[in-house]
Amino acid sequence: MDAPSIKELMATFIARDITDGEEVFVGTNLPVIRAGALLAHLHHGPSMRVMVAHTRTNLYHTPVMEYFELLTDWRGARWAEAYFNDNEIVMYQKSRRDSVFFVGALQIDRFGNSNLIGLGRDQRRLTLRGPGAIATTTNASYVRRFHLFVNEHSPRVFVPRCDFVSTVGWGEGGADARRRLGLPGGGPRYCITPLAVLDFEETSKRLRLRSVHPGVTVDEVKARTGFELLVPDRVPITGSPDADELDILRRRVDPQGLLRR
Amino acid sequence: MSRAETSRSEAEAERRSLLVEEATLSTWLRDGMCVALGGLATACHAMIGVRHIVRRGLRDLTVVGSAVGGLDVDLLIGAGCVRKVICPYVGAEALASIGPFYRAAAERGEIEVWECDEGQYYAGLQAAGQMLPFMPTRGGVGTSYPEVNPDLKLFTDPIRGETLVAVPAIAPDVALLHAAQADAYGNVQFVGTGYADRLLWRAADRTLVQVEKVVSNEEIRRAPERTALLAHGVLRAPFGAHPFSSPGFYLEDRGHIGELVEAGRAFARTGDRGPFERYLDRYVHGPADHVEYLEAVGLRRLLALGEY
Repeated sequence: MDAPSIKELMATFIARDITDGEEVFVGTNLPVIRAGALLAHLHHGPSMRVMVAHTRTNLYHTPVMEYFELLTDWRGARWAEAYFNDNEIVMYQKSRRDSVFFVGALQIDRFGNSNLIGLGRDQRRLTLRGPGAIATTTNASYVRRFHLFVNEHSPRVFVPRCDFVSTVGWGEGGADARRRLGLPGGGPRYCITPLAVLDFEETSKRLRLRSVHPGVTVDEVKARTGFELLVPDRVPITGSPDADELDILRRRVDPQGLLRR
Repeated sequence: MSRAETSRSEAEAERRSLLVEEATLSTWLRDGMCVALGGLATACHAMIGVRHIVRRGLRDLTVVGSAVGGLDVDLLIGAGCVRKVICPYVGAEALASIGPFYRAAAERGEIEVWECDEGQYYAGLQAAGQMLPFMPTRGGVGTSYPEVNPDLKLFTDPIRGETLVAVPAIAPDVALLHAAQADAYGNVQFVGTGYADRLLWRAADRTLVQVEKVVSNEEIRRAPERTALLAHGVLRAPFGAHPFSSPGFYLEDRGHIGELVEAGRAFARTGDRGPFERYLDRYVHGPADHVEYLEAVGLRRLLALGEY
């Protein structure tokens, strides 16, 4: 078998964080996150429930869930055990309080606050109109934990201060930052990028380098981060999928090879 | 009472049909209205209604797009019908990560974007449906939302003293929806969940629903638990969501969506409205009605959009 790709490695990291019985919510057009959630389910989570787009399912005894690209692809319901309407999914957060969620970003600051609104100083004249928060503002306020996920690791993304904050990470910093804001959810745990995995230092809740992906140096990550990243003395390499994980990924989760492109 | 004894008024009274002809859509829509558009992302937008708005050149609309607003909103912005957009997103996901006209108009300050996330958006609709001035949310506390949208107000909740966000009611004048089927009396049933269309109906003053099929009242009564909402008007609309998908009937037309996206991108890139004007001539201004629109798209193409 070919060596794992960086995307397969990122998916494996996501999978290993998830424990059996947890519920995971995946949006659409997010092949790496989808693969991570499904890998956890098929590898060590037989009693998990995964929501891919609006399709809420358990696939433990189903060979393959075909990839579909669009949120509203009704054919996805073939794999569903439940299929709720959109407003119920967003409005009733109590039933999501034990779930895991993912947040993308145009910008992320040192405390993991993030921005999907856009770039610029004036909301009425943005230099770049972003996609908007979709449902991340509300979901990230409540879910047990979430991970920031970006496809680019650069000083454009990791900035000293976001132009706007659409999703709170650790606010102004400190372990009680979210409690002070009255946000019941557990907040961000990891930030997963194409170069590295970052976590949050326990006391300050500042972003800290947790591991670098194979072939990436610590200096490279520091140089590609637009603020001072906490770096421990020893930085391990992000774990690669083992033979079992890679087999499940390639045979059942991603037979199309989206993660190897 | 025997038939002969039935009173005159009883014999002549008829249950009123809510079927609407496409030609009378003009009585539902006018300049400056707040119009909600149903569906979600690349599915089930009420495109007969949307093209009608463009054809008539309505102006200054406040458009409440769906929670994942589609290129139905983008088309209206490109055609100059929109003053203000209320929804958390406008685009087509993998087919267009953001609506090109939406992006251009927002960046140039030509439209007002009422910033919100889905939680706030749904809270505003819920407030309208419950006839309350606002609904609280927690999502938005600690973010820029109360600054970039001054209608979202931080307040101290009188019960537990927490800081929350007050979202004012979002009350559309009209909701334009697209569904699988309804009878002539406005009993609407979906294939699938109907996304948040039911909430748009609850929030709006009046709701017009396009349906793939008009069915008998007996058909509706066969499964009354499937009736999701009670429309004020029903428009017979086979392929009425085209170029977007309609669950149980057809998939999105990616080629056609691509034409629209390319026309928008050409304008955003170079300011050239030519491709978009040609799109409008071909699909909006040229066809006099929905049947002519479908003819312009072509039968072969429509019939190739089956789900399976």
